[in-house]
Amino acid sequence: MYEIWLTLNILFELALQYLPAVVAIAALWLALMGVAASRGNAGWCKAVKPALVVFVVVTAITFFITPGMTRSSFANMGYWVDWGNLFLYAAGFGGVAAALVWPLAAMMRRAG
Amino acid sequence: MSRTPEPPSGSPSIAPAASSVDAGRRRLLFGASVVPVAAATGLTVGSAPARAALKTSARIVIAGSGLGGLAAANRLARELDGAKITIVDRKEIHNYQPGYTLVATGVWPVEKVSDRNADLIPAGVEWVREMVAEFDPEANAVVTDSGRRIEYDYLIVATGLQIDFAQIEGMDVAAIGSNGLGCVYPSPQAAQATWQAMDAYRQKGGKALMTLPATPLKCAGAPLKMTFMVVNRLRQAGTRERSQVEFHSALDNIFSVPRINQEVLARWDKLGVPVTFNSKLVAIDVGARRATFTSPEGERSELDYDFIHVVPPMRAPDVVKNSPLSWKEGGFAAGGWLEVDKETLRHRRFPNVFGIGDINGTPKGKTAATVKKSTPLVVSNLLDVIAGREPAQKFDGYTSCPLLLREGAALLVEFDYENRLIPSLPMIDPLQDSYFAWVMKYRLLKPAYMAVAKGRV
Repeated sequence: MYEIWLTLNILFELALQYLPAVVAIAALWLALMGVAASRGNAGWCKAVKPALVVFVVVTAITFFITPGMTRSSFANMGYWVDWGNLFLYAAGFGGVAAALVWPLAAMMRRAG
Repeated sequence: MSRTPEPPSGSPSIAPAASSVDAGRRRLLFGASVVPVAAATGLTVGSAPARAALKTSARIVIAGSGLGGLAAANRLARELDGAKITIVDRKEIHNYQPGYTLVATGVWPVEKVSDRNADLIPAGVEWVREMVAEFDPEANAVVTDSGRRIEYDYLIVATGLQIDFAQIEGMDVAAIGSNGLGCVYPSPQAAQATWQAMDAYRQKGGKALMTLPATPLKCAGAPLKMTFMVVNRLRQAGTRERSQVEFHSALDNIFSVPRINQEVLARWDKLGVPVTFNSKLVAIDVGARRATFTSPEGERSELDYDFIHVVPPMRAPDVVKNSPLSWKEGGFAAGGWLEVDKETLRHRRFPNVFGIGDINGTPKGKTAATVKKSTPLVVSNLLDVIAGREPAQKFDGYTSCPLLLREGAALLVEFDYENRLIPSLPMIDPLQDSYFAWVMKYRLLKPAYMAVAKGRV
């Protein structure tokens, strides 16, 4: 699927535009994962639920603020493709937030 | 008429390219995780088959370092082994021209549209910082403005086009931004100055004249976008009620695709934008804010304005127009456009010459979207020719236009030579006001453009 390759390239070029932030978030996530994994007995499964809650909350917040941040508004949502794309953009941010929360929650909720 | 040179190194050999294989693996691995995002973006540009590097000692000259020239150079550098590739262009700053309408309507700061060409030219490609002053296709050579002669086996003409302000008496490019004079086309600075003029106009309102010449245009949607956006800016400023926005087209339409033409005219009717057809801007008195239009019968009429958006006639640069490479008869001869076959984009009389982008004398396609779609095709066809085969790829004339309707919404229009609307993905409605189309224009197309320039998509 060429569309996938093109999409990846768009994401890559966007990442280059925001490189310091992307590197910082990636480094933070790796550090959190590393710390959580090294401590042992991390409650990875128990951490899924709070991560999902964070995903939903951040996705919802981003969903509502993204049109304004892109100089548009809900009044410009023309059809389901617009709503679907807005949800995907929001879910992307929600996913990043959930990924950061997951190791934190795992450290706080020990297994077994 | 020139003949096709023999493949420079005899029968070219094909060697597997490890990097291409790796790239294919990477595409597969990463791709699995982003299918929904990919589907949602609605971007598609043909196929990207994994290739093998073609061993050759061919000398390839690329005239021009705009999007088409850079994309071709990057692809050829990757897909040829041993070729000598030379780009001829003095330009140091690479301007993202699709962003000019965003600058000219106050959406983007001007800084967002300029990058360094040096960052986009691939390693191993010679960059001659001069301009082509003469094409000599009979001798397979170009001559630069310093007198340097560069011989080639294959030539890609990607010079772009020439804005012809001389056809508008009294037009002064330096005056753009003052006295209500706007023009989005010449440069980022002109686009920025156009916004200054539009911003001043919208505060007070008054009469705006929006124009369209009779020649082929790069980004033929820009005059329409500017019209929609000036109406939008007047509404935002609360001055629409005391303003008139009129559109003057030198043609009997405002867009070459009938369905889009009808759609835009219907929308302008609702917005209160009258259109005068066959009304050509021929002169302007910038200080007096007065424009002169002529009808096909030669009848002249003078109109006063508070803001005018001048869209200049366009043609091929003299270096192409006055060369053996230009059309000598037919509809493209007057503009001096490059005589290429509209499907293979190979020159019709010089088989070792190809064209990319605005310079091509083809029915449609002076947009970045056309370059995005056609450059891989041109490179593929050039590789065929180098390998001693006939060009296999055929271009359908694809182009697209994210047509700004207002701040926050656009139409994503895609069409081909036959004026068919061809959305990249079936879920896209080209006639639907869309936030997604707006975000494409506002956020996603420049990253896509940069990937095209780097020859990756």
